Amino acid sequence: MSPLSREFTANPYRPWPARITSIMDLTENEKLFEMRIIDDSVREAFQFASGQFVELSLFGVGEAPISISSAPSKQGFIELCVRNAGDVTGALHKKQCGDIVGLRGPFGRGFPFKEMKGHDMLLVAGGLGIAPLKSLINHIHDDRHDFGKVTILYGAKNPSEILFRYQFDMWKHRDDFELILTVDEPDDTWGDEVGRVTRLFDMIDIDPTNTYGAICGPPVMYRFVIDEMRKKGMDADKIYVSFERRMKCGIGKCGHCGVGHQYACIDGPVFNYWEAMNLQEAI
Amino acid sequence: MFFRIMDKDRLPDLVAGLSKGFEVIGPVAKGERFVFERIETPEMLRLDYDTTLLPPKKLFFPPEEQMMRFRVADNEVVDDEVYAAPRVIFGLHPCDINALMLMDNVFLGEYEDPYYRARRESTMLIGVSCKPTDECFCNAWGTDEVHWGFDVFLTDLGDRYFISVRSVKGAELLDEFVATRDADESDTAAFQQHTRNFKNSFTDDLDTSQLPLLLDAKFDDPLWDRLGERCLSCGACSMVCPTCYCFDVTDRLEADGKTGTRVRTWDSCQFTQFAEVAHGQNFRESRASRVKYRYYHKQWGYLSKFERVLCVGCGRCARACLAGISPREVVTALEMGGAS
Repeated sequence: MSPLSREFTANPYRPWPARITSIMDLTENEKLFEMRIIDDSVREAFQFASGQFVELSLFGVGEAPISISSAPSKQGFIELCVRNAGDVTGALHKKQCGDIVGLRGPFGRGFPFKEMKGHDMLLVAGGLGIAPLKSLINHIHDDRHDFGKVTILYGAKNPSEILFRYQFDMWKHRDDFELILTVDEPDDTWGDEVGRVTRLFDMIDIDPTNTYGAICGPPVMYRFVIDEMRKKGMDADKIYVSFERRMKCGIGKCGHCGVGHQYACIDGPVFNYWEAMNLQEAI
Repeated sequence: MFFRIMDKDRLPDLVAGLSKGFEVIGPVAKGERFVFERIETPEMLRLDYDTTLLPPKKLFFPPEEQMMRFRVADNEVVDDEVYAAPRVIFGLHPCDINALMLMDNVFLGEYEDPYYRARRESTMLIGVSCKPTDECFCNAWGTDEVHWGFDVFLTDLGDRYFISVRSVKGAELLDEFVATRDADESDTAAFQQHTRNFKNSFTDDLDTSQLPLLLDAKFDDPLWDRLGERCLSCGACSMVCPTCYCFDVTDRLEADGKTGTRVRTWDSCQFTQFAEVAHGQNFRESRASRVKYRYYHKQWGYLSKFERVLCVGCGRCARACLAGISPREVVTALEMGGAS
């Protein structure tokens, strides 16, 4: 047996070691991890778009696809908002600051930020769907002068499940973002809206000819939010959705994330609604 | 392309010669069926085989393989070198060579797969002509012919082989190990006659017109429910398929818990958990949806990217299916108007 000379420079299945540099408890089940790839040149070359994801790799446990929550305008680190929901995410939740994990990516097609520039934005998140959308929201924030009116609708089951509340509580007082929060089950402290996120569409005023939509949330939410956007008169190809599928390899090979005739990992996970309508079983 | 002629009784010379420098793998008898295995002596090679139980994909993308060894403490890769010995696969039918080229699109395209590539690069392919079995429908996709993707290809002309020489390496092998001569006019005429006879030996011509569009137009056809009722979700169709490439990845820890191996294994979209995500949501919970997806991906998903269907008509899945579901039946039902 002789080792074959390898012309390729990288094994796309081999994760880059990354250090956890900060952990913030967001809710009982969700933590925000800041990670920095240890290799200087790899870290510097790591460019991503909002909506893209990484494969989080914990040797001995496995891998899980996690969307990047931080904005591409912030370089040198990434933030992952992770719910403790499975083996890999459960193991990550036990990690401490300074521990080393593995990252592969960034993978997939994100939101078309350049195309969105110069327009109004209507961003709608449900539950953990705020995680990928927060990357886009913060990117817009860092390029705020390039966008028109920005409206953010965010719904969760109850107040304790509202993520990034520290940021959104501050933003409620800004006049360059219209931010509306809603929960299904309010408690005594809740002073914002009550009900499904679709209910908020009566409260907002948008220019459908000049607005891009971005939606991320549980699968059942998409159809209803898209209906509201269509009722407002928005074009199908200006409404962007992000799909959660089982993106195991991230590179279009293992087959697990098939959605219609596409793979969520390389063709998505972000699709516009026209594309999504043409994907069987997508919505 | 260059053409050479080799008398049939020279075949053992070629096999014996190749064995000096390569691991030679070819079809050998296993009970009443055939498998691709190492050829120890020239007599083991059965170029008269009909088809093999498993396709040659197992030699490039094994049912189970080590991707890397790792250390848990610092989450570091200890070893991800790929070792591949020089090999010759002797006796591939056109369908299986075509199937490898379809696999190449996935594994050697964007994000090249180093494991597949190492094995592919270290392997030479010698094709051989075949006779259609009852299950074969390669003629429906044009995969009964192969024009590239091999080093040499032997067409059986009775007492001699008409050899198509595709690669430099293939030409060198022939020069080194066996006596051949140039093809003359009568050889070319015999080759043409052989091709005509071969084309005529297919008993039926599967109608595949507008198949990708029909898959969308009949996405909700009761046909899929009926197939779902029969399918056992055993995944045998995927395992024996020369073009099914889906895989799973798992980590196996050593007893000490400190080191381990990341392993990939064949997977199937027919298995219940294939499309399940973390919170338990399963995007293809019903058997009907999984059976349908396999056809949908092969005849439209893959085609939308690579302009070919992901099937070569080898008929292995039809033989392997315990419920007797065959692509010929499914495609015919779609073309004829759904469930019947």
